[in-house]
Amino acid sequence: MTASTNGIKYYFSLLFKMTNRRIKDFGINPVVGYILLLAIFVLLSELLFYKSEFWAPYIIVFVCAIMQLELSRSDRLDFLHIVFNNKTKRKIRIVENLLVYIPFAIILAVKLQFVVLSALLAISIILAFVSLKSRMNFTIPTPFSKRPFEFAVGFRKTFWIFPLLYALVVIAICVSNLNLGLISMVLLFAFMSSYYIKPENEYYVWIFAETPKTFIRRKVFNAVKNATCMTLPVIILMLAFFYADFLLILLSFLVGITFLTTVILAKYSTYPDEIGIPEGIATVLVLLFPPIALGVVPFFYFRSIDSLKRFLND
Amino acid sequence: MIRIAGLYKSYGSKEVLKNINIEFSSGKIYGIIGENGAGKTTLFRCIAGLENYRGEIYSDLKPLKDHLGLLFSDPFFFPKITGREYVRLLCNARGKEVPDIDASNIFDLPLNQYVSTYSTGMKKKLALMAILVQGNECFILDEPFNGIDINGSIMLTEILLRLKQSNKIVILSSHIFSTLSDTCDEIHILRNGDFTEVVEREYFDRLESQMRQAAVIERIGKLELK
Repeated sequence: MTASTNGIKYYFSLLFKMTNRRIKDFGINPVVGYILLLAIFVLLSELLFYKSEFWAPYIIVFVCAIMQLELSRSDRLDFLHIVFNNKTKRKIRIVENLLVYIPFAIILAVKLQFVVLSALLAISIILAFVSLKSRMNFTIPTPFSKRPFEFAVGFRKTFWIFPLLYALVVIAICVSNLNLGLISMVLLFAFMSSYYIKPENEYYVWIFAETPKTFIRRKVFNAVKNATCMTLPVIILMLAFFYADFLLILLSFLVGITFLTTVILAKYSTYPDEIGIPEGIATVLVLLFPPIALGVVPFFYFRSIDSLKRFLND
Repeated sequence: MIRIAGLYKSYGSKEVLKNINIEFSSGKIYGIIGENGAGKTTLFRCIAGLENYRGEIYSDLKPLKDHLGLLFSDPFFFPKITGREYVRLLCNARGKEVPDIDASNIFDLPLNQYVSTYSTGMKKKLALMAILVQGNECFILDEPFNGIDINGSIMLTEILLRLKQSNKIVILSSHIFSTLSDTCDEIHILRNGDFTEVVEREYFDRLESQMRQAAVIERIGKLELK
């Protein structure tokens, strides 16, 4: 066995160990964690194909590519560059992308989408050679600069998502596919909710001269306000062209807002720790079965207030 | 004024702070020195209310945390936040009106650039500038001189002396003795989680000689460098 193969094997065994440790930190056995993740993945994929069979494969390609691009961050690549030689680094990046590709490929194979499956394989390998330079000097302007930080920072990380999803809505209108439009809205909310998933450094909670109650309410208010601004073009377009389904469109928007609120409250309910598996499952369930938000949201709200007492004025 | 009485802090079975008793008054600069791991940062985190502890921390500034400018030795910044947004965030957080940020930019920082493009010293200057703009009554500065260039250090020394003149409480730690001797009224020595000595300004020279003796002659001598 060559030194390079040994290096790759050790690198991936370390990645596996670190992933297991992260799952354990959620207070859950890694095997159970993997099974749960798989179940959620299959459930969401099935839901996607059920809602829009034609567009689902493309959305799967889109999500898979985003996950692979996340692995192309320059800080990760710099680390691999320092530790491994160029050839090994390239091999590692290809294997990483293929590992992300496998679950998506299985879903596509089950759905008999072999052309998309092959295209995604090619995309996965190409993306292994892409580097996302984050140290550019250009500062992306954001409409959320006045009230940092979640939306200002999140918008800059995912600014390219918005024109893509707005374009998807235009396609939905052109092909008269309401479900595709609704999926775009769900994806918009999913991205905006991702700005709130990771708990911030405690300094950024501690600095606020507020009570936990006012802190949480302000966070939710700002998030809802900003999310509404970003979703407004989608809602206006969809209401204009799918007027007969206005109730469904408004309900979907409401579900998105509820999901965003649940994510924020779930984060602070376990703060300063990361969102646990039970909180994560409850949050996903809110998206799948919104009425349970009536119980989940108040529960998370009161737990958040408890968790934040340590850092804010009681 | 901040008064600490009978403060204990443990992580599991490891006692990091043991019976800390100290009082910090307005218009004075206090230096805290101690070896790495002596408990300086833990003490600062306790004063800021970021750690649970046994004992009492009393202040006439109520609540203390809302009047406290806290500078960590390695401040955390979000990857895609600009310097201007960071200062704005800290002002928003305290409900303070955002001042003319450009006028407050005494260190000539590129405020419209992402903080992630800043050097270590620039990040520290930004964090310092933000807590100064907040208009705090008390400042805890954990190794503020680390990574800052010579001009920045001269400015920081002057800023500390001006804060003292403005009757603020300043508590700082530093591993560079001259930065403390130039600014502090008292130096408190923290050893193994306990204050073992207080040195007044007139005895700083003697303290420096003692430390040099302990570090250079006794410890480096063991290396037997040739």
